[in-house]
This record gives sequence, structure tokens and C-alpha cells, in this order.
Amino acid sequence: MLTDMLLLLPTTLIDGLVLGLIYASIALGYTMVYGVLGLINFAHSEVFMVGAIVAIEVLIYGLAGTGLHPLIQLVVAIAVGGLAAGFLAVAIERVAYRPLRVRNAPRLVPLITTIGVSLFLQDSVRFVESLFGQFIRPFPSFPFFNRQIVLSETVFISNRTLAIIVLAVTLLAGLYYMVHRTRLGKAMRAVALDQKTSQLMGINVNKVIATTFFIGGVAGGVAGVLYALQFGRMDPFSGFIPGIKAFTAAVLGGIGSVEGAVLGGVLLGILEVVLGTYIPMWTNNAIGTEYKDIIAFSILILILIFRPNGLVGRAYAEKV
Amino acid sequence: MTPLLTITGLSKRFGGLVAVHDVTFDVKEREIASVIGPNGAGKTTFFNLLTGIFRADAGEIRFRGRNLLGLRPDQIAAAGVARTFQNIRLFGAMTTLENVLVGQHANIATSYLDALLRNRAFLQRERAAIERGRFLLDYVQLGSKAAEIAHNLSYGEQRKLEIARALAANPALVLLDEPSAGMNPRETGEMRDLIHRIRDELGISVVLIEHDMPLVMSVSDRVIVLDHGEKLCEGLPAEIRSNPRVVEAYLGRSVAAKLAKAHDALVEVTQ
Amino acid sequence: MSGWHPSTMRSVALLAYAGVFACLKIWVFTGSSLIDTCIFMAVLASIFFATTDNVAPWASRTVLAAILLFVLPVVGLANTFYLDVTTQVAIYAVLALGLNIVVGLAGLLDLGFIAFFALGAYLWAILGSTQASMFLPGSFPLPAEAFFLVLPIGVGVAALAGILLGLPVLRLRGDYLAIVTLGFGEMVRILANNLDKPVNITNGPQGIAGIAQPLNGLAIALATDAVPEYKWQALIYYFFVLCLIGCAILVNRRLDASRIGRAWVAIREDEIAAQAMGIPLVATKLIAFATGAAMAGGVGVLFAAKQTYVSPESFDFNQSIAVLAMIVLGGLGSIRGAVLGAAAVTLLNLQVLKVLSAWLNTMRADGVEFLGFSFANLPAQFEPSKYERLIFGIILIIMMLYRPQGLVPAKRKNIGIDVDSSTGKPGNQA
Ligand SMILES: Nc1ncnc2c1ncn2[C@@H]1O[C@H](COP(=O)(O)OP(=O)(O)O)[C@@H](O)[C@H]1O
Ligand SMILES: [Mg+2]
Repeated sequence: MLTDMLLLLPTTLIDGLVLGLIYASIALGYTMVYGVLGLINFAHSEVFMVGAIVAIEVLIYGLAGTGLHPLIQLVVAIAVGGLAAGFLAVAIERVAYRPLRVRNAPRLVPLITTIGVSLFLQDSVRFVESLFGQFIRPFPSFPFFNRQIVLSETVFISNRTLAIIVLAVTLLAGLYYMVHRTRLGKAMRAVALDQKTSQLMGINVNKVIATTFFIGGVAGGVAGVLYALQFGRMDPFSGFIPGIKAFTAAVLGGIGSVEGAVLGGVLLGILEVVLGTYIPMWTNNAIGTEYKDIIAFSILILILIFRPNGLVGRAYAEKV
Repeated sequence: MTPLLTITGLSKRFGGLVAVHDVTFDVKEREIASVIGPNGAGKTTFFNLLTGIFRADAGEIRFRGRNLLGLRPDQIAAAGVARTFQNIRLFGAMTTLENVLVGQHANIATSYLDALLRNRAFLQRERAAIERGRFLLDYVQLGSKAAEIAHNLSYGEQRKLEIARALAANPALVLLDEPSAGMNPRETGEMRDLIHRIRDELGISVVLIEHDMPLVMSVSDRVIVLDHGEKLCEGLPAEIRSNPRVVEAYLGRSVAAKLAKAHDALVEVTQ
Repeated sequence: MSGWHPSTMRSVALLAYAGVFACLKIWVFTGSSLIDTCIFMAVLASIFFATTDNVAPWASRTVLAAILLFVLPVVGLANTFYLDVTTQVAIYAVLALGLNIVVGLAGLLDLGFIAFFALGAYLWAILGSTQASMFLPGSFPLPAEAFFLVLPIGVGVAALAGILLGLPVLRLRGDYLAIVTLGFGEMVRILANNLDKPVNITNGPQGIAGIAQPLNGLAIALATDAVPEYKWQALIYYFFVLCLIGCAILVNRRLDASRIGRAWVAIREDEIAAQAMGIPLVATKLIAFATGAAMAGGVGVLFAAKQTYVSPESFDFNQSIAVLAMIVLGGLGSIRGAVLGAAAVTLLNLQVLKVLSAWLNTMRADGVEFLGFSFANLPAQFEPSKYERLIFGIILIIMMLYRPQGLVPAKRKNIGIDVDSSTGKPGNQA
């Protein structure tokens, strides 16, 4: 059995990395919005889901039969899905959150609103999709993505895996650059620290917040497409749990920080896949893969108890 | 007589910013001490350290011989230190009277079971608390507003309610953070009387953060000046008024220098 | 007439209203069609009107006693559908009252509240059926009357679970609590779903059936040809849940009007100020958490008995959200609001969506065409009864944006007692 486990290890780690990079990309949206507004945006998981569904629609209705290379098709679908998700996120902010910000509502109010938006979007997408027949959307199959690259006798990597890793890493690197090296990033960090002062310094706070939602939304949408590619399908309710886990990843890394989201995401992804694979083996399936969500939530609770500011996060004292 | 409150070498930093540095001072029984200093001097942070809202990096806080350092804010309140906030922090949705009742939280001995059973003990204590609450509201001239929702009160009334709420905790020391901020001269006059009455009638010591110099000079037994987190000097109001370093801290070096020059010139002329 | 006090006028109007609709319901609209249901809701509404501040206490008590102890049982025995609906509403109302303490008063957003309900329900489901013999020594099911022992145990177990979860989590910044409780709720559901192996504790997704019904002997003894056993059993549950809701309201009111309730609201309004006023945060929040959980646990035990069947499906995230939607709709912190919200959301879910679904299905079956759209083409997946999330989502968004205080805002009128009167009579509460 030990040899079985060893044989499985490389694939398990790679699968964990893929899942982790996807979590990291989703986590960015949570962490950026939390950093700027101090708000858990529960609707972010639906932004993720919409990105994936739009991309699948584009592949099915727009690109099928065009004969373009699968990679090009994927990139186009990602671009459209990501943009749709970004605009959706901005629209949500505009319609549901900004009015509350303006009237300075008690903190529970926007939080409950984000939950409402999340539920509303799930069933709205279900409604629209079921008008066209099926609301569970399989990702179109491309033989290209299933092709394996042989790395060694026991280690293979599929084109799919490789594509996801490359795209996710590009996305994360781009976002890191944006937050740390550009004026926009600086403005975002200023708004996060103190909205009033930023306003006085000539920063257009509303615009910065909208941009934050847009960027987070795009990242979430792209992550959604990658997720659908990896697991082969997406439906209106499949955003929710990955969303919660990505939030866990953001907390694990240290909420408000891009590096933290990446670190937390990758760690959580690998832990989930490794434990999800090996625990059933160790326990002879007495504890099955169904428990992987329990593992993720337990990790969340444990971090919050022992390291509430995350792995790289800094403690922060509310001004009194 | 041992002082009520003794603070030694108190320090606090936020990242690279030293907000309070090595502050030492004490407050005697039945004393009104004022802390003054320019904005950002660390006065509010000093209160936050005293009340346990922030944890001091170094130093010691002794209150009636007991070490307060490391206690939670609620424990410090129960030990007899109550406060108000610079940015008013009332319980906005509660009535004025309820706000004062919350202040008495630690002094009402009803248990969960008493509350559920609504027994004699509960009713008695509740009645006593309400009576005391009304007394305190009258004390700050808010008696007629007992049933008003706190966030509907005027600004000045909210400041007074914060003081009543702090007094409700039955403290030996109250910390008032800019109680007259935003008040008109008449209200400021009332505030001066109130501070005096708190000490004279209720026997409670007061530490006051204030920018209104006439108020500070007329109520304080002693004044402490903070600048950039450090204690600049300490003394009787009259001493502080004439201390050039204080003027400098408030107005900046160049203005102070000009003032000093003008002063010298004036002295020359008059001689 | 003009010499009458306005409150007397209102009281008379209330009596007339309640009387008219009660009579209509008992003698005229006895069926369960849409109009019958509307009349029934009008009868229920008299409970709502009877609990406003501005009617005289005598009128209010008369109407409440008459409706709750006479009209509803009579209507229900004639047509148990109404008894079931009322019991269902009341079960959710108890849940809403429990969550009202946690979210409404203390301001702690708990998104896994239904887990405590599940604990209570599974407790009786396991002990009150043969399920327990799968992993416990002894003879099961327990006798049905053990229900009365298990009910307080369920309350205790849920309270304990609340404390165990709250202890680490309540130290955290408030919004993390939302996500952790959500995770906890999911964990409990996943456990219920999977703990059929290695030891069969919950019987997994199939759920547990054949749960013992308390006082079944009484129902059998009362049974006649006209009123069979199952109707009496439904009536027994009705009275049970009436007791529970009474307890829940009492606990809400009394705690709210004590230093504990004031501490909760103070924490909700401003945590830092509350702590600086001497309120220990973690302990006070734990009390809120445990009190809310206890109510859910207790009513969970009753739920298992009433349904005689539990499965993990009844305790998913949607259910937690349903309870949240109830108190948001009614008004956070408001007792009448919680009950009204429970009634509105339950009826909406139970009735409106189902009716809509059935209606669409007939149209599909008949191939009705409307503006060129043929209902026959309606996809099978288009199933309105499943759109609860849409409803909850809309309730949450609209209320938060346009009426955050809810339909029946909590009134912080004052303190529970009147200093001037020496009777110690409770004052009016929101
Ligand atoms: N929670 C905090 N985090 C970071 N910096 C803080 C915090 N609280 C206060 N400061 C900083 O500490 C310094 C002193 O502030 P404060 O005590 O409020 O001054 P004062 O009350 O004398 O005006 C200021 O520079 C302020 O920005
Ligand atoms: Mg200050």
C-alpha cells in the first residue's frame, strides 16, 4: 500500500496545485474587497460561477465548429467569461452595496445583502439556463486537453493541467504587479487604510472601489472557467462551496494580502487533495472523500483560533 | 497619601509610529488632571492604553495598588475606571435611560435565571438600577430625555449622555476625551460645572483631554502636556500657561520664536 | 360612540374582526382552496392585531385565547391541513425567535443555525427509533414518553454545542463568525449524510424513519369515527409547539428586558463601547449563542417527533437562510417580527411556490399558449417550487436596502418594569 501511495503522490500534488491556484484566483476577489471595504462579499462565488457559465456558452454557441485551436478557443472564452464576471461584480457593487455605503449602514446590513445577492444570482442563473433546457452545463470536451505529456515512467501531466497552471500563474502574477507596482494599486491600499483621508487627497474613492470589484470579478471569472475546465462542468450552485473555500484560503494566508491569498490558496488546495486522497486509503474508506469539505472547514476554524491574522497577515488595531 | 492611579514608563507604537513614549504620571484621589497637546500627540491612545483597548508595549499602570496592565477593558471598567470617547460611541438604537443602564452592567447582580424567572431579586435590582439611571440623567440635565432614542439626541446631549453612562459604572476615576468638542460657550460652561460637580459631589477623580484652554485652565488641578507621544511637562495650570515649550508644541517652533521675539520687544519697549 | 376611548374602539374592532373571520372559517370556508387559505390567514392575522400595543389588554387576551385555544383547534380538527400548516409555522417561529437572540439582539451573524435544530432532531430520531440499537446497547426505541426527558436533553445538548463552537469563534472579528458558522452548518449536514459508516449512527442520506410519537396513547384513546387518531395527534403537536413558542417568546422578552439583553444590544451597537462599559464580550456573546442554540435544539426534538422521519435534507444551508430571511423580513430584534416573518416565509414556501409549480405543470400538460409561447415547451427543469433561494435572496436584498428595520421594527420603548408602579407588572415590549 505504501508504494501505491508513493506512486500516487506526484499526481496528487499536481492536482492539489491546480486546485490551489484556482482557489488563489478566487481568493483574490475576496481579499481585495475585504481589504478595501472590510466586507465579506458572499456574492463573489456567484461571480465565479457566472464567469464559467458564460465561457461555456461562448464555447458551445460561439466557437464550436470554428476549427480554432482549442487553446485559442479557451483563451477567448476566458476573456469573455472574465469580462462578464468583472462587469457583473461592478454592477452588484453599484446596485446593492454602494447605497449602503453612502448611508453608512450598520455592518451587518451589507453582509446580509451580499448573502441575498448570492442566493438571488444562483436562482436567476438557474432560471435563465433552464429556459434553454439544462442548467447543469458540461464543459465542452476537447481531446487536446486530455492528451498526456509523459514526464517520467509514473508521472504524467495533461495538457489541461498544464494550461490551467500557466494561465492561473499568469493571472496571479499580473494581479500582484497591479496591486504592488501601479498607481491604481497604491490608491487601493490608500482607500483600504482610510477612505475619508483618501478622498481628501484627491482619490476618487467610488471609482477605486468599483475598480477593485472589477479586477476581483475578472479574476474570479477566469478562475471559474479554469475550475469548469478542470472538473468538466458548472452549474448555478457549484460556485458556493469553492467560494467558501477560497475565502478560507484568503483567511489562511492573511486577509487583505495578495501574497497571502496565493499562499493560502495553494496550501489549502494541496491539503484538500492530499488528505482527500489519502485519508480514505488509510481508513479503508470508513472516512471517504465526502469529508474533504469538513477538512477544509476544520482548517478554517483552526487557523482562526490559532492564527486569526493568517500566515502572512499583520495584526491590525481598530482606531478608537 | 498614595495616588489613585500611577503610570510609569507607558509606551505604545503602531508599526513605525511611536504614539505614546515613556509617559509617567499619577492622579490623586479627588483630583482633576488635564492632558493637553496638539492633534496626534497620543492623548487618545493614552486613554486607550489605560482602559485596556490597546495593549501597552511597555510600562506599568497601577490603580488603587492593583496592576491594570493585561486586563481586558471590561475588567478595567469593573475595577473602577470609566471613560467617554472622542468620537461619541453611544448605543444609538437604545434609549437614553437604557444607555445609562448598560453603564451599570457590572453593578447589577441579576443572574440569567433571575431574569428568566423575573423574581423579586430581579425586580428589586432592576428598579434600583432604573432609579439610579434616572438620577444620573437628571445629574447631567437629561432627565426629560430618558425615553428618547440615543441617536436622536443633539450633539451636546450625546456628550452628556456619554458622561452619565460612564458615571453609571460607579467609577473612582473617569477619563473624559474632549467632552466639550463641538459645544457652544454656554454648553461649555455647563460642562465646566459638571466636571466640578463630578469631583466635588460624587468624589470621583477626573482625567480630562481637552482643547478648550479656558476650560482646562479653570477646572484643572494639574495639567500634563503631551507632544509626539512624550510628556513635555506637567504642572499647575498657571505654570503651563507660561511655559514657552508648550506654546512651541502647539504653534510650531517658528511661530513660537516669533512670539518670543515679540514678547521680548514688548518688554524692551515697556522698559 | 364618540365618547369612547380610541383604544376601546380599536379593541371592539379587533373583537369584531376576529369573530367574523373565525366564524367564516369555521362554518363557511372549510375547504383548502386558495380562498379558504386566505380566510385562514385572515384568522391568523387577528393574532398579529391582538398583540399591538394599542388595544386594551382584555381584548387582546380574549382574542388570543379564543383563537389559539378554540378556533384553531376546531378548524384544525375539521381539516388537519391547517393544523399542520400552523404547527409548521410555529416550529419555524421558534427557530426564528432563537436566531433573533443571536442575530437580532446580539448582532452575531450565524449562518449555520439550522445545525442546532438538526442536533435536537437527530437526538430524538436516533433514540426514539430503532436506529440507536445500531450502535448503542439496550433496547430501542425508547418508550414514546421518554420524549419529555429527551426534550430538555436536546435543549442542553444544543446549548452545549453552541458554547463549544462559540468559545473559539466568538473572540474573532464579527464577520468571520458568519463564515465559520456557515462551515459548521455544512459540517453537521455532511456528518449526518455520511455517518452511516463505519458505524451507522445517522443512517446517512436515507434518513431515519419510524420515530416514536409522544402521547400517541392519548390520541388513540380519543379517536372516534368522526375524528380519527391522526387528527388528535396533530392537535397534540399543535399544543406542544404552542407551549414551545410561548416559552421562546417569554425567554426573548424577559432576557431582552434585563441586563443581559441590554448587554447584547450594546454589543450589537458598539462592541468597543460595550466592553469599556464593563460588559465581558465573549461570555455575553456565548450566552446569546447558547440561548439561541438551545431553542433550536428543543424545537428540533419536537420536529423529529412530529415528522416521524428526519433526513439531512431538512437541515441544509437553505434552511439556515430561511430562518435568517424570516427575522430580516420581520425586523431584527423584534419578537412579533420574528413570528410574522416565520409565518410569511413558511406560507410563501409551502403554499405560493407549490401552487405556482402545480399551476405551471398543468399549463405545460395542457400545452397552453401565451403570446406565442407554448407552455408545452417549458423545460422540465423549470420547477418553480425549487426557487426558494430566489425568494430568500429578494427578501434579504430588498429589506436591507429599503427597510433594514423590517416590517415590524423592534421598539426599544423601555425597560421591562415601571418604576412608579409597585406591581412589577411587565411593561410593553417590542
Ligand atoms: N489604531 C491605530 N493604528 C495606527 N495608528 C494609530 C492608531 N490609533 C492612533 N494612531 C496614531 O497614533 C497617533 C496618536 O493618535 P491619538 O492618540 O489619537 O492622538 P490625539 O488623541 O492626541 O489627537 C496618531 O498619529 C494616530 O494616527
Ligand atoms: Mg484624540
